[in-house]
Amino acid sequence: MSAGRTTTSLADPPVTASRRRILARTRLDFCLDALLLVAYTLAYSLGFTGIATHEWLGIGLGVVLLVHLTLHWDWVIGTTRKLLRRGGRERFVWLVNLLLLLSMVLCIASGILISEVALPELGITLPASSFWRQMHGTTATLTLVLVPIHAALRWRWILGVARRFAAWRPGRSQ
Amino acid sequence: MKFLRHLAAVVVTVAVIVGLGMLWAHASGGTGSGQAPSPEALARLEQIKEQIKAGVIRVHTDNGFHLADTGNLIRTCEIEAVLAAAVITVSTVRRRHRRTRRNAAARA
Repeated sequence: MSAGRTTTSLADPPVTASRRRILARTRLDFCLDALLLVAYTLAYSLGFTGIATHEWLGIGLGVVLLVHLTLHWDWVIGTTRKLLRRGGRERFVWLVNLLLLLSMVLCIASGILISEVALPELGITLPASSFWRQMHGTTATLTLVLVPIHAALRWRWILGVARRFAAWRPGRSQ
Repeated sequence: MKFLRHLAAVVVTVAVIVGLGMLWAHASGGTGSGQAPSPEALARLEQIKEQIKAGVIRVHTDNGFHLADTGNLIRTCEIEAVLAAAVITVSTVRRRHRRTRRNAAARA
């Protein structure tokens, strides 16, 4: 998924070029996050998608999640380092994100391990495991609670970017 | 280059979490298929099989893409919306409270 790269000419003043780069990065973050939220909502609704779509969406979600984490790795490191000095809210956000990381990774990993369609289609068969089935159910429920909290904790950013998107026209620098 | 470095760190983190999960599964002896089903469970399974044969329970082959149960999707969206709304409300109330306190302190 491309967020639309912006090109800057050499004649551009440095401030404008920098601003364009930030805007491109913000666009990428926003689109990727929206994609993750939609994919997660669909993947969670097993009764809506069916098992095969659920499994393939889950695997795709895992890949996009790696990119999402990579793009925000600076935040992870920075906040973890300053955890003791930071206020209560930032600590709460960090804790929610940590719990979400653990539950999402375990949910996707257990989903792959109990796969009934995707893995057999790739020629891989694993023995059925009640542990991983239970783990998948528990972590999925946990993610359903944590995903909206994770998104809502950044609602001001989401609203701000959505407003800029509404005003934004391709070809204009701002 | 920075992206690749960060990606490597993320992959290692994810691998550690999955590894810990595997250890947990191993420690709890849960990597097998679990306990043998109880006689009650087997009896219930037989009952379900009979119901399927009789057509009381309808089973359809799942080839994956059947956008049938929209209620399921709507329920997921509702849960997400309620939780997000709760967080946003708390955040707004706290922010307003903080601002009021700050204004009062500035006036005093």
